[in-house]
Amino acid sequence: MNQREFTRRALMQATAGAAALAALGRAGEAQAAEKLKLWAAGIHKVGAKDWSVMEAQAGIEIAYTTKSARADESIQKMVVGDGNKLFDAMTDNGGGMEDALASQKAIVPLDTSKIPNWKNILPAYHEGGAAAHSIRYEGKVYATPMISNADSMAYDYKKLGFHPDSWAVLFDAQFKGRAALQNDFGPTLTNMAIYLKQSGKIEIGDPSDMTPDEVKAVCQYLIDWKKKGQFRTFWDGFQNGVGILASGEVLVSSCWEPIQIIADRKTGDKADIRYGTMKEGHQVWNNILMLTKGGRARGADAAYYKLANLYLSPWFGARTLAGLGFGAQMTGVDEYINAHPKDFPPDKQKEIIDILTRKNARLAVKGNAWQNVFPKHLRAYQDWWSRLQAA
Amino acid sequence: MLGEDGLQKWVFYIPVVFLCLFFVVPVALTSVWSVFERTTFWMEPGFTFFAYQNFFTSARAENYLFSMIHSAWAVLISFVLGFPIAVFVRRRVPRVAQHRVILLFILPFMISELVRVFAMRPVLGRYGIINNFLMQIGIINEPITVILFSPLGVIIGDVLSFLPFMVFAGFLSMEAVQNYIFEVCDDLGAGPVRTFRDVIVPLAAPGIFAGSVFIFVNGIGSALVPIILGGPGAVNAGLIVNQAIVALDFPLAMAISTIMIATLATLLLIGHRLFDLTKILEPIN
Repeated sequence: MNQREFTRRALMQATAGAAALAALGRAGEAQAAEKLKLWAAGIHKVGAKDWSVMEAQAGIEIAYTTKSARADESIQKMVVGDGNKLFDAMTDNGGGMEDALASQKAIVPLDTSKIPNWKNILPAYHEGGAAAHSIRYEGKVYATPMISNADSMAYDYKKLGFHPDSWAVLFDAQFKGRAALQNDFGPTLTNMAIYLKQSGKIEIGDPSDMTPDEVKAVCQYLIDWKKKGQFRTFWDGFQNGVGILASGEVLVSSCWEPIQIIADRKTGDKADIRYGTMKEGHQVWNNILMLTKGGRARGADAAYYKLANLYLSPWFGARTLAGLGFGAQMTGVDEYINAHPKDFPPDKQKEIIDILTRKNARLAVKGNAWQNVFPKHLRAYQDWWSRLQAA
Repeated sequence: MLGEDGLQKWVFYIPVVFLCLFFVVPVALTSVWSVFERTTFWMEPGFTFFAYQNFFTSARAENYLFSMIHSAWAVLISFVLGFPIAVFVRRRVPRVAQHRVILLFILPFMISELVRVFAMRPVLGRYGIINNFLMQIGIINEPITVILFSPLGVIIGDVLSFLPFMVFAGFLSMEAVQNYIFEVCDDLGAGPVRTFRDVIVPLAAPGIFAGSVFIFVNGIGSALVPIILGGPGAVNAGLIVNQAIVALDFPLAMAISTIMIATLATLLLIGHRLFDLTKILEPIN
């Protein structure tokens, strides 16, 4: 054995020993950490492709199951299925789903004093605030907000040459056949109702909870435009939404902000896809974290509160904002970003500030309306949406 | 204990058990649930035809009919493109190579349907391969937009997705058309068109019908094609069911499913009366 071999072998042995010790240490930590069986969407994590960074930050072990944003999936699993056996905590849309699940006793009320970062929560969530209802049922807090946004319209600035500030651009004759809407009656009818109400075209009481006559009027307006060939398509699914913008098929499209961000990154210099602020208003929504009845029965409260605390920390808020552009649910994000230049270098800071500025501008519009997962006249929404599809 | 004979006897009942478990029971439950009362989040026992009334009085029936028409077009185009391929392989390719050639048509199925359908977008799009090519050679000045995000886009997607069903079924059904039949046609002076129309198609009809049913069923049931290639709000029967479930209207979803089953059962019955579908298995026998 020559010196070189010895050194290499010794190094490998030492490395293997250290790795084994480290692994043992980690295993010990993992055993000590509380476990949380979490049913959530992929967009609810930051830091890595898996949940490892979230686990490390929260100090818990997460057994993750992927979840879609479909309301029927949550209801079927949690109300009539075995969701309470399978999951300790789950995420979903606020503004309806917490009411549905709490009324069916599938989720339990929270003790917010066990979430230290609750003191940082945005004032809108305080009792009487604009978003207070989205985490409460019968006055009790049932959920922790994680991300939020005000949905708007993406457009290719390079092709348009101006920054649209009204949903009216979707109905502009020069974009005939180059406009798209989301193929989901919830956000699409709410946003269109906001536009038609604020522009004085149709009298609408609450765009989030329309009467059957109001739903009919909004859909008939869209049917007229559809018949004129104004819309290229109604996109369905994230990749579809990105694809129609990035390929240049459409120039204006109502969509989620991450779609605009990814479409813009995908097109590079070929296009300049931006996200507008509509003067009439936007549908505002949030995603929330809930503790299931089964989770409480299994003693998962402590793990839930640790994860909820992480979701209300500027650490998470800054990263979700920087990643997919979702709104943070706590104060102190700006300070956090400024205090961590290594994680957020100046160019990234500028990008985040841009997103945040636009977001705040959207959130400040008076005509905004909250997402309503279960409007009173849901059947009217369904039936008129099918008429729009058939038109 | 069961002897060998007893075991063999029971083995023949396995298909019956399978059929009961995976067809009769689900169909019966679907029909029963379709007349249940809708509750806010689920449904409760009752007896109402409201879901059926809702289907026929809303635009859903219209959407359903459109999806049947689009699927029928896909069947027709698949027949025109796919059946001659099957005939060609049977007639012209050496017998030892026939199955290998047919296996080539399985290759697209190795790729996920989502990827296959999504891959049509850069081909059919405004700035896609077809439009770019046609503009480069000067045939068109403006992109053709009717081939994507339109009913035609859905039909193209259905044909490209499900064409192999027609090729396979046509190939199998051509077993019933022996080579001497072509020779007889030649001797009697029948041209290729007449031979195809009056001899081959009638003899292979059960197989052609079976392939057509596969394509039709997928056309009205597979949600991917209208979502990815369809125009504003394009739907088929599968998507209408899906949307009813998303809106937690389970009796409606069950009612539409029952209507789909009834439609397909009627089609099969008509097909059986016209072509005697048991003949599909005759060459194997």
